[in-house]
Amino acid sequence: MRRFLLSISDGRGFDIGLVSVPLAFLFAMAGLPLIYNIVMSFQEVDMFSLGTFARPFVGFKNYVTLFSLPETWPILGNTAVFVIASIAGQFTIGFGLALFFWTGFPGSSWLRGLFLVSWIMPGLVVGAIWNWILSGDFGVLNYILRESGLISDNIFWRSDPDFSLWAVVIANIWLGISFNMILLSVGLSAISQDLYEAAELDGANVIQRFYTITLPMMRSTIGAIISLGLIFTLQQFDLFAAITAGGPNNSSNVAQYWAWDLSFRQYDFAQGATVSVIMIVFVMIASVVYVRSTRHEVRG
Amino acid sequence: MNLALRDKFMLAAAFLLAAIYLFPLYWMYVTALKTGSAMFASPPSLWPSDPQWGTYGSVWESRNVGRYLWNSLVIASGAVSLIVILGTGCAYVLARYRNVWVDIGLFLILMLQVLPASLMITPIFVGFSQLGLLDYPRTAVILAIAAKSMPFFVVLVRATFMSVPMELEEAALVDGNSRLGAFFNIVLPLARNGILVSAILIFMQAFGEFVYSKSMIQAIEYQPASVGLNSFMGPNTNEWNNIMAYAAMYVTPILATFVLLQRRIVSGLTSGALK
Amino acid sequence: MGIRKLALAGALAVASMSAFYTSACAEDVKITVWSLDRDIQPAPNLIKDFNNLKTGITVEYRQIQFDDVVSEAMRAYSTGQAPDIIAVDNPEHALFSSRGAFLDLTDMIAQSSVVKPANYYPGPLKSVMWKDRYFGIPKATNTIALYYNKDMFKAKGLDPDKPPQTWDELVDTARKLTDPAKNVYGITFSAKANEEGTFQFLPWAQMGGGGYDKINAPGTVKALEIWKTIIDEKLASRDTLTRSQWDSTGTFNSGNAAMAISGPWELDRMVKEAKFDWGVALLPLPEPGAKRSSAMGDFNWAIFANTKHPKEAFKVLEYFVSQDNRMFKDFGQLPARSDLAIPPTGQPLKDAGLKVFQEQLKYAQPRGPHPAWPKISKAIQDAIQAALTGQMSAQEALDQADQKIKAVLG
Repeated sequence: MRRFLLSISDGRGFDIGLVSVPLAFLFAMAGLPLIYNIVMSFQEVDMFSLGTFARPFVGFKNYVTLFSLPETWPILGNTAVFVIASIAGQFTIGFGLALFFWTGFPGSSWLRGLFLVSWIMPGLVVGAIWNWILSGDFGVLNYILRESGLISDNIFWRSDPDFSLWAVVIANIWLGISFNMILLSVGLSAISQDLYEAAELDGANVIQRFYTITLPMMRSTIGAIISLGLIFTLQQFDLFAAITAGGPNNSSNVAQYWAWDLSFRQYDFAQGATVSVIMIVFVMIASVVYVRSTRHEVRG
Repeated sequence: MNLALRDKFMLAAAFLLAAIYLFPLYWMYVTALKTGSAMFASPPSLWPSDPQWGTYGSVWESRNVGRYLWNSLVIASGAVSLIVILGTGCAYVLARYRNVWVDIGLFLILMLQVLPASLMITPIFVGFSQLGLLDYPRTAVILAIAAKSMPFFVVLVRATFMSVPMELEEAALVDGNSRLGAFFNIVLPLARNGILVSAILIFMQAFGEFVYSKSMIQAIEYQPASVGLNSFMGPNTNEWNNIMAYAAMYVTPILATFVLLQRRIVSGLTSGALK
Repeated sequence: MGIRKLALAGALAVASMSAFYTSACAEDVKITVWSLDRDIQPAPNLIKDFNNLKTGITVEYRQIQFDDVVSEAMRAYSTGQAPDIIAVDNPEHALFSSRGAFLDLTDMIAQSSVVKPANYYPGPLKSVMWKDRYFGIPKATNTIALYYNKDMFKAKGLDPDKPPQTWDELVDTARKLTDPAKNVYGITFSAKANEEGTFQFLPWAQMGGGGYDKINAPGTVKALEIWKTIIDEKLASRDTLTRSQWDSTGTFNSGNAAMAISGPWELDRMVKEAKFDWGVALLPLPEPGAKRSSAMGDFNWAIFANTKHPKEAFKVLEYFVSQDNRMFKDFGQLPARSDLAIPPTGQPLKDAGLKVFQEQLKYAQPRGPHPAWPKISKAIQDAIQAALTGQMSAQEALDQADQKIKAVLG
């Protein structure tokens, strides 16, 4: 008993305890629901049998049906475009802002605080606001573009199949800037100033310093941010619901919205679960990439 | 370049960027002042011709915003406490070792939060109802939010622990500290800022959580502000001006607190507290 | 039955209940009600009044959102946590009644002195039926008609007392009223990819001789082509494809559209916010003398089959029905009843509009009823959107929809 207690406070037991409790909690709260979804994708689900696991199994039938639908591939393609464009935009702008404020000038830390607004705003409100900003006739974005002479005719951001997906991407980039900016700021501030001074003495210019010091030192932060960005982007739902509802004609539909639409608008829970399993596979690949990237981390 | 001039230039650029970025926020405040149909006017007016200041007062009273905000606060605080207690240790261990088990742990933690809340709610609801947890709706929501946000916290805080030099902890162990003692006396204080920032970020997300609260909290007395906001929205009754007034009252206090707080947090970070 | 008689019947029903319960001295029976009504709408107010009557039944209320009604109800029902009473959107009623989730009320209605099927409009009544049995009671009803801006008609030299009667006249009038220089579209409606789009299109399909079960009838194809003309010629905003009816009519109120197709729920806001003279007209027809048709919206009351107190729950519904005469005056909603005369409100524009909507209601047809209605509706929405974005011709899009619907209907 004493040895056990000692191990808890001062040995391997300490580490195992710290990890196993949260993991068990996560498994119960997030793992089981995930499994429920996976199991459901192999079953015939009746909307009134949601409360039980005992449903007839149908093998891969749901998957076969899903991939025979004409909209499946376009929607998966949209999802990839949405994820890649959103992350690229958020990260680039967020990194730019983080570097900008990092240079330090009077009021910089105070102003940086303002850039957290999009993190605080509830998704419902963000969706409603962007819905107006992007609307074709009375939207402010068109108004500004028109007044500045960039466009002559209104762009119907929400209703033109060529733009609808990008309308949501724009709103999502705005939403993600704050998260990227603040985390990259924290990462930047952890880099020792000595390194830069030494590099400057060696004659490295700003760009060289960025590539030889900033980027390598930020590796773990960047890995974390991109993988979290991927998850946030894949979970983005409010904006689709508020701005385009996946339309027109699925041109802005993505997997997460489609899965919800199948489950809760058409009550086809099995198909909805099938789409979510495809998303899980997608993220699984990304997670492997993230975990591999942590291999090269340097401990400070 | 003259240093003072550079500062001025940077400040001006910062203001310009902030103005562009904050435009949607401005739009929220302005819309709350417009009449119901004025927001559909084309071209849009950047300032209402006939500001309806009364909207704020009437929404506050008729909507019981105070009670909703209190519930949001309770739920967000509960979820953040739970996450910090469970997540910090987990992140610490995942940062301390470098082996295949850590890889698997990280992988699992990321994988577990793939699906949007709108798809997770059905199984969670079914499970909670079988456990009888739905009789304690706010607790149930706190548990669900904690599970949803914890991976985010763990990944962030792990990165913070990575920047705490291992030698410091080893030195403490040599000095006769137990692992427990070294963790609380040395490692935790050094990672304090990172944990705090992550906790605040999580708090803000939890404050606006919507999907779980909507489904699990059926009694109106326990519903958070996000659900209260949603109860405005119907297919034929979107009173956008009231919605925006409500949203403004809901966002402004957190925003103000944060703008004040972040100055300390971020300056604490940038001054190199870790070095 | 007149209003007074009805009120009397309601009072009697309540009185007999309270007599029963005071004599039995039983503890209050708790009945839970879910609906989408918020504070200024009927359900919470009627429940408050009911609870004040102290009948031995206490009603607890929960508001749920339009989008969540079915998913919340199913989740609750499959875990045994369903409420006693729920309000569901009429096209979704069959989904529940066909699966036995709702209580068969036929026998209780037969014995009731308050709820009389003969008092209801045929459309709403049909939506609560499944295999000739009653599984609910219509809560309220609505439909759509054509709002038009009389001042704009005058400005363009059109007769403000002669709104368009046929589809061709509608397009023609819209052309005349469209004025891009002043940011005015000829017309606004909603072709959104959700139930609202189906709701707006089906009347056109039905007037054209089609319906959800023959969605590619020639008249229906013509209807979709008219819609396409309206969008292509910019007589309506392209955002019609993603905008709800409420937001679309907002552009009418602000003077950015000269006509709007929407329902009676707009009347109160329009009276308050439209700074011009407006009128309401029946939906235009494919050609003069064609058969009229209209959409039918709004919710139905139902009792869940697993309620522990079916009798008490039905009494609560009887009370709601006994208050139907307050629906328009207090809450601006139309009762689904043909036997109730709605007293004038004193707002001339609103009263004139109401008359048109009541006339239009006579032609209202329910969507379905079919247990797989959402899939049918989705096929129709997809066709509308495919045609309006120009990705398919109206004929192709509706042929595809017809195939999908035939597969659902079996």
